[in-house]
Amino acid sequence: MDTLVAQYSRPAFENEGYAQDDDQQLITQITPPLSLKFALPPVAQSSSWLRAMTDDYSNPNCPIKIAHGTTTLAFRFQGGIIVATDSRATAGNWIASQTVKKVIEINSCLLGTMAGGAADCQYWLAYLGMQCRLHELRHKRRISVAAASKILANLVYSYKGMGLSMGTMCAGVTPQEGPALYYIDSDGTRLSGNLFCVGSGQTFAYGVLDAEYKYDLTEEEALELGRRSILAATHRDAFSGGFINLYHVKEDGWVKHGFNDTNPIFWKTKLEKGEFSNVTSKLV
Amino acid sequence: MDCHPEVWGRPRYEIYGDYDHSHLHTSGPMQHTQQPIVTGTSVIAVKFKDGVVIAADNLASYGSLARFTDVKRLRKFNSQSVIGFGGDVSDMQYLDRTLGSLDTNENYSNSDQPLHARNLHTYLSKVMYARRSKFDPLWNAILVAGLDGEDMPFLASVDLLGTKFSSPTLATGFGAHLAVPILRRTVPDEEAVQQTTKDQAVELVKESMKVLFYRDARSLDNYSIAVITKESGVELKENEKLENQSWAFADQIRGYGTQVN
Amino acid sequence: MASVFHPGPPSGTPKYSFAQQPNTASEGARQHSFYPYTDNGGSTLGIAGADFTIIAGDTRSTSGYSINTRYCPKVFRIGGPESRIALSVVGFAADGDALKERLDTILKMYKYQHGKTMSVAACAQRLSHILYGKRFFPYYVHAILGGLDEEGKGAVYSYDPVGSYEREQCRAGGAAASLIMPFLDNQVNYKNQCIPGRGTGHELRQRVQEPLPRKDVEQLVEDAFSSAVERHIEVGDGLQMIIITSKGIEEIYKPLKKD
Repeated sequence: MDTLVAQYSRPAFENEGYAQDDDQQLITQITPPLSLKFALPPVAQSSSWLRAMTDDYSNPNCPIKIAHGTTTLAFRFQGGIIVATDSRATAGNWIASQTVKKVIEINSCLLGTMAGGAADCQYWLAYLGMQCRLHELRHKRRISVAAASKILANLVYSYKGMGLSMGTMCAGVTPQEGPALYYIDSDGTRLSGNLFCVGSGQTFAYGVLDAEYKYDLTEEEALELGRRSILAATHRDAFSGGFINLYHVKEDGWVKHGFNDTNPIFWKTKLEKGEFSNVTSKLV
Repeated sequence: MDCHPEVWGRPRYEIYGDYDHSHLHTSGPMQHTQQPIVTGTSVIAVKFKDGVVIAADNLASYGSLARFTDVKRLRKFNSQSVIGFGGDVSDMQYLDRTLGSLDTNENYSNSDQPLHARNLHTYLSKVMYARRSKFDPLWNAILVAGLDGEDMPFLASVDLLGTKFSSPTLATGFGAHLAVPILRRTVPDEEAVQQTTKDQAVELVKESMKVLFYRDARSLDNYSIAVITKESGVELKENEKLENQSWAFADQIRGYGTQVN
Repeated sequence: MASVFHPGPPSGTPKYSFAQQPNTASEGARQHSFYPYTDNGGSTLGIAGADFTIIAGDTRSTSGYSINTRYCPKVFRIGGPESRIALSVVGFAADGDALKERLDTILKMYKYQHGKTMSVAACAQRLSHILYGKRFFPYYVHAILGGLDEEGKGAVYSYDPVGSYEREQCRAGGAAASLIMPFLDNQVNYKNQCIPGRGTGHELRQRVQEPLPRKDVEQLVEDAFSSAVERHIEVGDGLQMIIITSKGIEEIYKPLKKD
């Protein structure tokens, strides 16, 4: 009875309006943590709804196009881990950016790569960075790559079926593990391995990488192989291109080896090494 | 997630099932609360140098049936602003109740600074946006006419999605296609607003209501019109009749229905 | 190639590769009919200079083929009078307004709580997190944020609807992005421009990008928009420009064609 009275003695407009919980939180909290609370569309099948809005392959006319498309690779060798990516982001057929930083620096010793939904990767790898730092503070030593990758894998697994799209690699060198490389994707898959290529251009990168790869590569050779594999993928995969982003992970941290335009590298490779003979260099 | 190169990163069918196009369309079985039932048609309004004129007819249709012919779709708010509702009539009545209790409450708390039209419009747009975000929209297109905090003419619109905008001339529904061009011919911009008198604006709105009645099948020749000025507040007339109708153009119309030439 | 790997967009029943039921789709009654988005058209643009940033947008608001109004600003100063940050939002205007107001509130709260204005870098990250917070019910907007960084250089950040972001020299968004962006690539970043007089063919060298003076950038913005107006129906009426310098924020309005 009291609830009934309460319901009708309160003016109708109080039930309307904008004061949602998250807005309240936003005002009271000074620095909100990277939140795990997400607004959901109030429909029965939210993931199906989200997909209808965002899956640009099944429906090229979907209203919201999320940035996609990539070639990324990472491989272990005797001198550490090479991580290389292209830099193109596409939304449908539109090239949204040619300068995306697809290697995400989680901390000074850990790198993550970005393939799939750009926002998913950026957000969750930032979240992972936060968790890694907390681990460091709690345990007074750096987190292992295995543990870091597992945090991410468990996290995305808990969102399985919601529509996340990410294929990421975690690369790092720690004293207990040596160079360690993990592949994690939004299905919850987590694999350790010597060599991974991820993204729409993965097959082209694998083609070059598998042919030349061996564990005993010198640092010089390894960097060149990473660069050459991405170059092959940008050449053949329309959704990859832009710049080649190259990193080398060593025990004392990662080293960046440039963010270089593919076009001059392509012509250098062709004219100086005689590769890509399918392309003519004659000027007509 | 699909790992095949050309669909890389997209949802996999064995996990997500087939792509469901129906989310993008408004076909298929409807839930009755998700569509308007008894509806009002256009509301039109125009600013002039001292205020705003707003008008809407008195019809509430039930589909193509002219069901209620005496429904007042212009509502006064605290005797300073007028709100014109197009779209679902039950949602209009709900909003009217909501605004009524808001007004009562405002009178208790701070009566020295009553809500003006701009405040009212902001409030309504928040309500509409919050409801669309719950996927439970109030199925209306609303015009708010009155004076803002500086006693300047104020006219703005908000719809069921929470989209809001302001313009010297506005119309909802069919009026956006039929009346707006007529209104814009006389009042294209803020400069023209300053040149327009009350009589001109009223005449313009009456003329537009007539054109709407000629061509909008869901309209009526009985309408309400309100003029809001600083001097005389809200002058709301709820039982106006269209005058000087001329259907001479009717037999010039060719090419509709069974008649071909 | 496509058919080798994938049967193409599917039809009929889902195909299971293992005994897992689709765990979301097609359970219970489907909710129909209400589509919560619309596209209000328009276009925006942001360019960063050496010591300034320009964020611009047209002022037309459309739904379908109708023009709602000729003056509906898409570019906003946010964070109160001392703040040096501008946000432009294009796409679904109601989402854009909601987003703008949220970020504005956050910036003001930050000012009250810390006694200083938020840096653009921090604001940019915060905006990304706001957008990602609606990952599963996205804001249908393309946001561009502009300001001056810690060193006083112009900074432009651009976003996708769910919050992936990047700092860039320039970015166009909205309906005419595909018309304006190639122009900007060429004129701001000198893409496909070569140093003259260095021969032809393989001798050609890419012209080096340098920061443009403010006058040139303003002219570039005007040209970009007046050209977009010629070729896109959802762009026109007015051009609103917000120019951020260390001295303050200026706002310029210029008429565009109204047809």
